Amino acid sequence: MTTPDLPVTDAGWFRKGLSDGVGVPALLLMATMLGIGGLVRDIGFPAWAGTLSTLLIWAGPAQVILFGAVAAGAALAPTAFAIALSSARFLPMTVSILPLVRTPGQSLVRRLLAAHFVSMTTWVEGLRRLPGVPEAHRWAYFMGYAVTINVAGMLATHAGYYLYALVPKALAAAFLFTTPLFFSAAMVSAARHSWDWAALGFGFFVTPLVTPYLPPGVDFLLIGVVGGSIAFFIAKRRAGRGEGAP
Amino acid sequence: MTATALKDTLGPLWPYLVVIVIGFLPTDLWRILAVWAAKDLKTESDILLWVRLVATTLLAAVVAKIVLAPTGALQIIPLWHRVSALAIAIAVLLLFRRSVVAAVLTGAAVVILSGWQVS
Repeated sequence: MTTPDLPVTDAGWFRKGLSDGVGVPALLLMATMLGIGGLVRDIGFPAWAGTLSTLLIWAGPAQVILFGAVAAGAALAPTAFAIALSSARFLPMTVSILPLVRTPGQSLVRRLLAAHFVSMTTWVEGLRRLPGVPEAHRWAYFMGYAVTINVAGMLATHAGYYLYALVPKALAAAFLFTTPLFFSAAMVSAARHSWDWAALGFGFFVTPLVTPYLPPGVDFLLIGVVGGSIAFFIAKRRAGRGEGAP
Repeated sequence: MTATALKDTLGPLWPYLVVIVIGFLPTDLWRILAVWAAKDLKTESDILLWVRLVATTLLAAVVAKIVLAPTGALQIIPLWHRVSALAIAIAVLLLFRRSVVAAVLTGAAVVILSGWQVS
């Protein structure tokens, strides 16, 4: 078995991240972003406002809420609040990935940059890929990977502005469905322990049961904290019985 | 204040301002808070495991919500077709050595077939 030549510098790992970003997750994200580009056109915003939203907001659901609210003529302050609630998932997501990309004496700017580029795609792929990268070069690798995914997203948002109306309805629906498909498949594929399955199962199956009774936005937070805590206690109990520490 | 009111005051720049103030700030607020919250966390700590499990549950909940109450073009696909597409995709994933690509392509094919029937 031959080992491929691995980079030894930050610049080398950054470039490896850039090239590793070219792949299926980028394509699937592009399918979603095409739809957001179409939405931007529908509400009469310029194409570049959509592209900018992918660079700055970098969260599909928040972008959908934003442009949907503008389309409906909704008041802006409640919209900002709804977006803040829907984006609260970035707190646990970002907190769980930052320690992985930390290097000694890392500047605040570098930490903020890494945090900004946390999205569903970079989180799922980052947790999977980073343990295989030498600790000292993880930040560089993550940034390279995230830049490719984000640029792919911006290109797709911009292209979607001009192309989405031409796409047949059935295909447009399939494009939008790639997001839930990819994240469920990626998360199920990454699940190793009973507590991973508990967290996933709680999110998938309890959400339909309780969301009709909870205020929108708050529902996710409550489900996340309750389900995550149950999964955590399962992990601790199993670890206590010597079934392998998490 | 509504978008229309803002449009009248700000002119051609208002879409960019809406993206920054209403979209970017409320989203990145959490990412910035995370930088502060993650400051002293160790990679092998209990808190980090808990946070990761909370995030996993949250993402699964977001997926469930997209399947149940979708926006845009997905609305033409009947609910049980959406649920079936996801279930078939996961079955393919578990049967075929956890191939995410095979799962996504199968699920997307189910949605396209359903979309062709209903549209």
